Amino acid sequence: MSDRLASSNKPDSLSRRSPEQLLTVSIKHQVGAISLDASFALTKPWTVLFGPSGSGKTTVLRAIAGFVRPDSGSIVRGESVLVDRASGVFVPPHLRPVRTTAQTARLFPNMTVHSNVIYGVGRSARPENAGTTVDEIKIVDEIMSLFRIQQLTDRRPHQLSGGERQRVSVARAVVSAITCQGAGQGDGAALLLLDEPFSGLDYAMRDQLVDGLRECLMRWKTPVLSVTHDVGEAFQLGAEVIRIAEGKIVQQGPVVDVLGEERLRLMSQLRVGPS
Amino acid sequence: MDFEALWLTLRLAVGTTAILLVIALPLAWWIAAGHGAGRAFVQSIVALPLVLPPTVLGFYLLIAMGPLTAPGRLLMRVFGHPLAFSFGGLLVGSILYSLPFAVQPLVAGFQAVDRGFIEAAAGLGANPAKVFATVVLPMARASLLTSAVLTFTHTVGEFGVVLMLGGNIPGATRTLSISLYDLVQDGNYAAANRTALVLIGFATMALLTIYLLPSMRKTDGRQADIVR
Repeated sequence: MSDRLASSNKPDSLSRRSPEQLLTVSIKHQVGAISLDASFALTKPWTVLFGPSGSGKTTVLRAIAGFVRPDSGSIVRGESVLVDRASGVFVPPHLRPVRTTAQTARLFPNMTVHSNVIYGVGRSARPENAGTTVDEIKIVDEIMSLFRIQQLTDRRPHQLSGGERQRVSVARAVVSAITCQGAGQGDGAALLLLDEPFSGLDYAMRDQLVDGLRECLMRWKTPVLSVTHDVGEAFQLGAEVIRIAEGKIVQQGPVVDVLGEERLRLMSQLRVGPS
Repeated sequence: MDFEALWLTLRLAVGTTAILLVIALPLAWWIAAGHGAGRAFVQSIVALPLVLPPTVLGFYLLIAMGPLTAPGRLLMRVFGHPLAFSFGGLLVGSILYSLPFAVQPLVAGFQAVDRGFIEAAAGLGANPAKVFATVVLPMARASLLTSAVLTFTHTVGEFGVVLMLGGNIPGATRTLSISLYDLVQDGNYAAANRTALVLIGFATMALLTIYLLPSMRKTDGRQADIVR
């Protein structure tokens, strides 16, 4: 366990929060057979929550989004307390400076692709910073072309392939997160939560998407917490990695430190394979 | 054929349906989203007109609206006349009597909307009112249609409540079903037959609307595979 984790694991970490902490999570929650006990702080623009299926990754994301009420603990985003069971604070999902996309693409079937993508535009948690319409149109265009869905504008969800739906779903959350923060002001920007955002995509598409998306989100100062169980994806994102297993945070640090051995093991397996 | 009764019946059915949809939408949404003893209690009250003899409901409404009770006297002062034996009283009675027919299809429709869509909208910053208007209601629109058509048809066909509460005043409370009863009492079977045929026409058209419309709009059928 790294020193970094040890310091953020202390129960009083909330009161000694440093200004560069984007999000501080310290929650306990029983879900099925897994007892989740997760404490960590986000400090980097893109953090990956890495762990096997059933390790509690999605529950962590749902707690931050506000869809799960943790049994105990607190979640603090910047200066605002989102959840604090001790003092009874619980901010409902739509009022949190957080934008979410689930692992399964839930595109609204009664709307076109374009209507889906702009659904969360300007629904700012801080209305005074809502961007102008011109800015919003520009952002929507940019994100739709980044995700290569601009030719699907007038289609309905049932006319899309699985991969297309996945891209529209992630694009929709990205647009909502960027426009939520207004015209690019850094502090208080919406935190973007992505649950396995690239899982339904082929590698070529993922390669094209990752770099463009990372650059775009950095430019709009939108921090991201994404979930994956794919070592390759974590390395490609070059992100900070929080490793979770059986509901517990086991390690946090740069991807090379946390998943370096994992990658070597996978590569040796590839080399050993039948010739 | 009693055209005055037909006109009165249509006014009553349209009024009841319009007012009931306004009441039933939030009520059904609350029942669909709620849980616990409160919800079971409200659901039972809403369903009561389904199992009660209409005359029981009519009797108590007659007492409540009449000059014998405090609420009845208050209503008399508000409206200037007793609500019983008036069109207004008939409207109140119809609303209560048709409540389950408006609420229950909506509850079923709202409960069938995948929770994932509601979370997807909330995760994009939409408040509950926006989620309801832009996601839940459009996805449950077949239930909305069923609710409206059932309420309308049920009001057209009601008899017991109307007789208890409204009596048989031409132009004020004599609906088609009461008129039919009168015609039979008078032995005028030919006119009774015409009135009965009109009522059968209403019912058949209503059921055809419910069963035919969803299958004509192909998108409804395809929504199921969008979920996954």
